[in-house]
Amino acid sequence: MAHITGFKEFERELPPKAAPQERVAHNQEFVSTYTDEQLNRQAARCMDCGIPFCHSGCPLGNIIPEFNDAVHQQDWLQAYQILSSTNNFPEFTGRICPAPCESACVLSINREPVAIEEIEKHIIEIAFSKGYVAPSAPLLKSGKTVAVVGSGPAGLAAAAQLAKAGHSVTVFERDDRPGGLLRYGIPDFKLDKWVIDRRIQLLEEDGIEFRCNTEIGKDLPAAELTRTFDAVVLAGGALMARDLPIPGRELSGIHFAMDYLTQHNRRVSELPITNEPILATDRRLIVIGSGDTGSDCVGTANRQQASSVTQFALMHEPSTDRPAHAPWPSYPTVFRTSTSHEEGCHRYWGIHTKAFLGDEQGQLRAVLVTDVTWETDVLGRRIAFTEIEGSEREIPCDMVLLALGFASPQYQGLLEQLGVELDGRGNVHAPNDTYRTSLPNVFVAGDMRRGQSLVVWAISEGREAARQVDIFLTGKTALPSKNAVAMFA
Amino acid sequence: MRRFATGAMSFGSISHEAHSTLAIAMNRIGGKSNTGEGGEDAMRYEPLPNGDSMRSSIKQIASARFGVTAHYLTNADELQIKMAQGAKPGEGGQLPGHKVDEWIAKVRHATPGVGLISPPPHHDIYSIEDLAQLIFDLKNANRAARINVKLVSKAGVGTIAAGVAKAHADVILIAGYDGGTGASPMSSIKHAGLPWELGLAEAHQTLLRNQLRSRVVLQADGQLKTGRDLAIAALLGAEEWGVATAALIAGGCVMMRKCHLNTCPVGVATQDPELRKLFTGQPEHIVNLFRFLAEELREIMAELGFRTINEMVGRTQFLKVREGISHWKARTLDLSGLLHPAPNPSGGTLYNSETQDHGLDNILDWELLRHAKPALDGRIPVFASFTVRNIDRTIGTLLSNEITKRYHAAGLPDNTINFRFSGSAGQSFGAFSVKGVSLTLEGEANDYVGKGLSGAQLAIFPSLNSQFVPEQNIIIGNVALYGATSGELFVRGQAGERFAVRNSGATAVVEGVGDHGCEYMTGGRALILGKTGRNFAAGMSGGIAWIYDPDGSFPDNCNTEMVELDPLDSDDEDQIRALLRKHVQLTQSQLAAYLLDSWVEEAGKFVKVFPSEYKKVLQRAQYATV
Repeated sequence: MAHITGFKEFERELPPKAAPQERVAHNQEFVSTYTDEQLNRQAARCMDCGIPFCHSGCPLGNIIPEFNDAVHQQDWLQAYQILSSTNNFPEFTGRICPAPCESACVLSINREPVAIEEIEKHIIEIAFSKGYVAPSAPLLKSGKTVAVVGSGPAGLAAAAQLAKAGHSVTVFERDDRPGGLLRYGIPDFKLDKWVIDRRIQLLEEDGIEFRCNTEIGKDLPAAELTRTFDAVVLAGGALMARDLPIPGRELSGIHFAMDYLTQHNRRVSELPITNEPILATDRRLIVIGSGDTGSDCVGTANRQQASSVTQFALMHEPSTDRPAHAPWPSYPTVFRTSTSHEEGCHRYWGIHTKAFLGDEQGQLRAVLVTDVTWETDVLGRRIAFTEIEGSEREIPCDMVLLALGFASPQYQGLLEQLGVELDGRGNVHAPNDTYRTSLPNVFVAGDMRRGQSLVVWAISEGREAARQVDIFLTGKTALPSKNAVAMFA
Repeated sequence: MRRFATGAMSFGSISHEAHSTLAIAMNRIGGKSNTGEGGEDAMRYEPLPNGDSMRSSIKQIASARFGVTAHYLTNADELQIKMAQGAKPGEGGQLPGHKVDEWIAKVRHATPGVGLISPPPHHDIYSIEDLAQLIFDLKNANRAARINVKLVSKAGVGTIAAGVAKAHADVILIAGYDGGTGASPMSSIKHAGLPWELGLAEAHQTLLRNQLRSRVVLQADGQLKTGRDLAIAALLGAEEWGVATAALIAGGCVMMRKCHLNTCPVGVATQDPELRKLFTGQPEHIVNLFRFLAEELREIMAELGFRTINEMVGRTQFLKVREGISHWKARTLDLSGLLHPAPNPSGGTLYNSETQDHGLDNILDWELLRHAKPALDGRIPVFASFTVRNIDRTIGTLLSNEITKRYHAAGLPDNTINFRFSGSAGQSFGAFSVKGVSLTLEGEANDYVGKGLSGAQLAIFPSLNSQFVPEQNIIIGNVALYGATSGELFVRGQAGERFAVRNSGATAVVEGVGDHGCEYMTGGRALILGKTGRNFAAGMSGGIAWIYDPDGSFPDNCNTEMVELDPLDSDDEDQIRALLRKHVQLTQSQLAAYLLDSWVEEAGKFVKVFPSEYKKVLQRAQYATV
């Protein structure tokens, strides 16, 4: 570490963003890059901790101080090699990860954390521009075949690692293009589609075969997969959106967030839309749910020029400081303002939606809400809420998007046909150390196994599952694991 | 909770905030915190308004003797002699210059900005008898304190422990290799030392076999972190435990391992004022840690059916080797020696139940104390004469302890207690003697004259009836003035080897010294009116030595790695002449009288030994005042 007092001298800085009114006029990314000097200073803020908590904060176990040091010394090849040794897709996580590594950064105890995510993004984009990123699968194949079901981040990571181990990989995707939620869930303004296409092309050059428009369990019986492939990795995600079954749910104008986002993503990519259009243009929109998906709805609606955008959260407004129940280095719930919020949004906290109210035509006209207070424990964890008497009121609106998370994977088709065992939460059961389902040659990774989670977790799961598949197929593995103990046991 | 101690982490390596928080916490629970080897600011001896105390119960005496004064020793419940450090056995320590700020320098009696070296060995301990002597010295300096000897876990530590027990240590600490990893060199973290389990079992079994176990307290440390660790340590033979890393982490350490860079971002191991402000640890955090440790230990005790720790100590039959560990290395381990219930020939207790006989009952100092009563009670000057023999060891130390108890660091006015001795003094003449005490010895003295000198004036000259030429004969033994912090020593005659090693403030006049003179010196003045042995001034980073070198042979004997040899300037000449006059007055030295008489001719034959870094810092200070 060349600059031992960097953290004292330089403040955290992020690259400039286009102004909100400017960026809502289009659907592309709007975050600019650091200057060379800025990047150098941001890397110099890393303290090269003896015990780097960022390693364990990152679900991938990214080797962060080392790549920061390489960036500081402008050794871009080494920075790329370190980064790509633990992360197959830094260009995704560098853009859309909520960066639990930064919450675990030792600097964040009493200062702003190192801008790890931005540094990560710069490393991979510089690596692409310098031509370091190239296909890497071995020419000598193992002769084993693996089917990966689903081409979201978990499926892609599993496929990439398995190809690296020399196996012949086929990825099945029911949509018309690979990428899963990366492509049809996340809006372009956060993750441009060319970023995904660039990576898919590399994976294809690595010999991975993508079969789109193929839903296993519908277009192809599940049994055929388990019979024709040596191993199968299920990476179908957690597709079943959580509903809000309150009076008036059947009214027209109420949609699931993911239906809305998918359609907009297709529209931006100029792909055909077969179902009825869902547009927020000139409508008073309420987004129920305060997570990342809700935030993406806000940003999308602003780009569709909704007449107003409002977001509801049942929980009380979080503090901007860490709550007592989530001390460093854990990932806390704090008050966050996403770029979409910057673009304009009314945010309500502690608000409970009791009913949807419609007009005679069955069209949504308002929501019936009450304010709530939360009972919390000594550390500030929410226990239960009570409605505030007399706070019941109607808030007029034309459209509601439900962004309440995802309850489970889709059972119909693939899972039902396979008959895999489920865990207590309704996800596909597979132990943490094997990723293997109740069927002998079927593995599972990502949200389908752990329930709805982050892209970075999906990549992590895909990598770890691939390692287990490799052991299953060949009896040994040279693929890395973030769990060093597991690697050397 | 009284059986808990925190580890020896010095003020210097860690910040005042971190150090005093540990001390307050340990004082709250009745445990013991440890100064480490960096001394302690005397302001911490006074309780705080809210009743808390920042005073560390355990005062460590390490090889460098930083800040080891009579006052420091008096303010202790336990004095720990650090023979070695578990994390880096056989190595010394180092505090880089940029961590030595004004405050650290004051407490350590050093110069700000000049790096400090802890030598690997204690220069006054080359054998177990030497250790016994140091234990005796320390017991004289504070007879209320337990004397703790810190050993590291190693093969044969049992034999060492038995020796240490016979040398009358009250407590023996067995340190494991896992400890103190913050700033140890990587080579030591990885490949040095042994776990405390091995050393502890060996020490306990050997002590028991030799009927010594009941005379000492056995303590273990080195990454003890859970109640389970404590229980295992107890069953292997430890009745007290040291917890350092865990306590530091409870206080906010995040294991940055940047302790040596001064950039600790949580204000623990840094002296940077801006970073120190970021220290957020509270004593109650550390108190909680120890409470939970004790609670967990209590639960394990209840499970095993022990009511007290004493019942539990050394009961290895309650430990069993875990089965089903598949690691290939584990399969070849035979732990039966570790878990062997040692024979107990005397049938004594497996824990400490007797006190050591330190042999203080019939020492000369009790008589000195009687004669000094008017001085102690009312600062009235006293004069007395005594005849001494070489069994009269550590003269003046217990007396100085009593003075310090009443008058603290200030001591008494100069020349309040004037004692004259004749004969051959035993070891450690005037050790840790304080201001106001003047001891004059006609005859000769054994080793360790003025060890840890803390302000007293010592004068030694040969018997007036003797026939030999004083300046050609050695009249005091080795290792005089080792670790002295202030005071004066005048010797008409030569001193043995290792003269004024680690002196940090005392002034000495002597007429020749043996090898390794002024090694690792950081302050004070040494005027040497004769030959020196080889390796003079090795590792000397502060203070000044003047050598009378009429035949020009001195440069060959000087280790110039850290020092420069200069001619005298006028300021030096003034200081030397003043010292020579005092030397004549106190010892009737003919050599000094001759030099004064022939000053104009002889002044040019003096060499000034000036440590380079010290010189730079002094020059900077001079510019700053101009």
